Amino acid sequence: MRRVLIMFSLLLMLIFVGGFWISGGDAARSRAIIFCQAGQIHTLDPAGMTWMQDIRAGLALWQGLTQYNPKTLNPMPGVAKTWTISAHGRTYTFHLRHHARWSNGDPVTTANFIFAWKRMLHPATGAGYVEMFFHISGARAYFNALANPHARPRPFSSVGIKAPDLHTLIVHLNAPCPYFLDLMAFPPFFPLNQASMARFTVRSGHSLAYYNPRFTRPPNLVTNGAYRLTAWKFHQYLEFKPNPYYWDRKTVRCRELHVVSFSDALSAFRAYQSGAVDVLSFVPPEFTAALLRQQQAGLRHDVHYRSVFGTYYYIINCTHTPLTNPLIRRALDLAIDKKQIVTDVTRLHEKPLTVLVPPGTIPGYHSPHGLAMNVLEARRLMRQAGYPDGRGLRPLKFLTNDTDSMNMLVAQAIAQMWRRHLGVRIRIETEESKAFNQDCVHGNFDIARAGWYGDYMDPTTWLDLFRSGNPNNHSQFSNRQFDQLMHQADIEPNPAQRFTLLGDAERLLVDRYMPAIPLFQYTDGLMYHSRKIGGIGPNVRMITLLQYIHWKHRPRGGTHP
Amino acid sequence: MMRFLISRIGQSLLVIFVVYTCTFWLLMAAPGNPFIGEKQPPPAIIHALKVRYGLNHPWHAYWAYPWRVITRGDLGPTISYANWTVLDVIRSSLPISVSLGSLALLLALWLGVALGMLGAVTRGHWPDLTLTVGSLLGISLPSFVIGSILLLVFSTYGALLPSGGWGDLAQVILPACTLAAGFLAYIARLTRSGMLDEFSADYVRTARAKGLPPNRVIVGHILPNASLPVLSFLGPAAAALLTGSFVVEKIFAIPGMGEDFVNACLDKDIPLVLGIVMVYTVILVAFNLLVDIAYAFADPRISLHG
Repeated sequence: MRRVLIMFSLLLMLIFVGGFWISGGDAARSRAIIFCQAGQIHTLDPAGMTWMQDIRAGLALWQGLTQYNPKTLNPMPGVAKTWTISAHGRTYTFHLRHHARWSNGDPVTTANFIFAWKRMLHPATGAGYVEMFFHISGARAYFNALANPHARPRPFSSVGIKAPDLHTLIVHLNAPCPYFLDLMAFPPFFPLNQASMARFTVRSGHSLAYYNPRFTRPPNLVTNGAYRLTAWKFHQYLEFKPNPYYWDRKTVRCRELHVVSFSDALSAFRAYQSGAVDVLSFVPPEFTAALLRQQQAGLRHDVHYRSVFGTYYYIINCTHTPLTNPLIRRALDLAIDKKQIVTDVTRLHEKPLTVLVPPGTIPGYHSPHGLAMNVLEARRLMRQAGYPDGRGLRPLKFLTNDTDSMNMLVAQAIAQMWRRHLGVRIRIETEESKAFNQDCVHGNFDIARAGWYGDYMDPTTWLDLFRSGNPNNHSQFSNRQFDQLMHQADIEPNPAQRFTLLGDAERLLVDRYMPAIPLFQYTDGLMYHSRKIGGIGPNVRMITLLQYIHWKHRPRGGTHP
Repeated sequence: MMRFLISRIGQSLLVIFVVYTCTFWLLMAAPGNPFIGEKQPPPAIIHALKVRYGLNHPWHAYWAYPWRVITRGDLGPTISYANWTVLDVIRSSLPISVSLGSLALLLALWLGVALGMLGAVTRGHWPDLTLTVGSLLGISLPSFVIGSILLLVFSTYGALLPSGGWGDLAQVILPACTLAAGFLAYIARLTRSGMLDEFSADYVRTARAKGLPPNRVIVGHILPNASLPVLSFLGPAAAALLTGSFVVEKIFAIPGMGEDFVNACLDKDIPLVLGIVMVYTVILVAFNLLVDIAYAFADPRISLHG
């Protein structure tokens, strides 16, 4: 018996030492800046990047034809040194820098862009953002032909992407796209180094070629941006070091950057407080209110918080009776006290919204006026629709996801307002994200929570969501007048005139037809001590350009979390 | 002996297959589509991803999976961490969970048996009463409470130990203690009650009557018999501890398998959930098998031939 116990203990001892030896053994790294993200990296393949944390890492590792200006976030020259835009705004000619290099020293040429873009347009790549490419003439038809096994494949030459030489890239668009240069800085449009990826080709079945994702892991990954990836320990950290061949090497002042993530905001905050993390890419929601109070009282100076390019709103299923009636949708909006929601429920200093595109975020775009709260008018509309005081109205199914406890609180507060003011009864249902997303796609709801962050600086990043036939149009709103205005905006070459058309289109959504009820503009932030860390800051799109991060004053070393 | 082993191994394989079948079909039946996020990609992309992950034909996938695992040792790609295979994920997180769990089990076992003995010997007096209350707390307090208290005392106020992470020996202490607490308390209670049962047994009286010193009676005669329940508890305890605790890993920011498992379920990452469940099952079954064999050696009343 004793022998059994002792043997067992020895075995456990051995397992502990072995397991620890395999998994641990990280020395403290006091030179590195430790940047903590809110979630794990999902992929470092630019074609698959849709998550904020992936995009942030992507922007540090790669560079597209353009890049974001660190101050204004407007596109500025990246791999392309100059470009010209044709008079009708549909042809872009990019001139690539001759001394742009990959992290292995290879020159960056148009071949790298053609390779990456052609790969994006292959359905087998599984690129979530492929629709961004459909601005390019012939791209949609090329993609659809590949996706349909019975269609005759179209040659890639049918797509409006041409490279007359290694340093000139010509792109033809279907229609003028004022934010096309902005898109060129976004991960799906990054170049890829095909030579280093060649040995990761996987072929399954007939011509369904894709790349083993192992190509994204060090030392295999070859990138052309400010950093190269020197180590990646799964769920522990990513190590970035300056790319010695980067053409703008002098702007990269950080010698070593570690990107870590915690599954729990509280653990991350604790690590930050203890000095094991230098920058938090978020402000922990549980403490935001308290932290902001401390900041206002002058007790701390490390909360960098602001309104961002995102809207929290509710969508209404426009195909479910009685919500097919715009009067009821309008009454629902009018009966919500949005100010009370942000001051008493969410308390994260959000701005209440009556429109979908956060006002003042897009230069030159004038938001229309939405609906101000008006309970009397809301009641009148309900009477007019045939449901005075909610009589005769079935209970409405409200669907929300459980990713954030705030969703439930907001829903309860609003359900209460609807019940009190209009007599409308709400049945709130909570689901896991994946089930929630699927139910939204299938329209299994009357009213559902929604949130959207703009992908590029243009109102269409929201307004496209309400076009007939858009796969993300979960409210299944379909209105000829709206579609018509959107189409006119598509082909309008004059940017000011285009914004007027888009403003008119948005007015239809927030003042007439209400397929969605805007609630408030998201807020977000970073935490870091600005006397210690420089080169970053919160901005409206929450794009943190790690390229410019650097120590201002380095305190005595911390340990690795 | 051989017959016993073969029949136990056969049973174990059957258990593993049943677990696989249930997990697979439950995952297929669960609502939600792993490829739909808040933004919905075009249907052609969703289809291409389904094909890549072999999920377009569930029956085919159901039979192909065990075949692939057995012949190639390949657990497939993950959906939510596209750059890593299931094997990569398990390879990186299992050693962490296993080493943390083994340390916790070591602590729980030795401290638990020692404290249980102390309690039995001092029955009715203050050490025993203290231990009874302490073990009650250890069993009933959930680990997130124990973990938070330890963090508060040793990390936030005491600043003696790091608050979380992995890679440094100091970072292992608090989570190992948290993880051990419940098991330690349980083992202490098992040992104590086991010993109290044995105190009145005939062979103990005989040993005493022969003039053996009390220490030798306890360690040499009572303990081996009293710890049989502990031994049978060790199988499931080892499997539970070694495969990672989601709560403890979350509190202490440890990149272990428990966290991976919960995230995989939420993301509906079918291959990853399946992979982790199968690894967990194999470990659980293996430890139970080991304990059965050890039991047979330790307790002469159990026959290996039956």
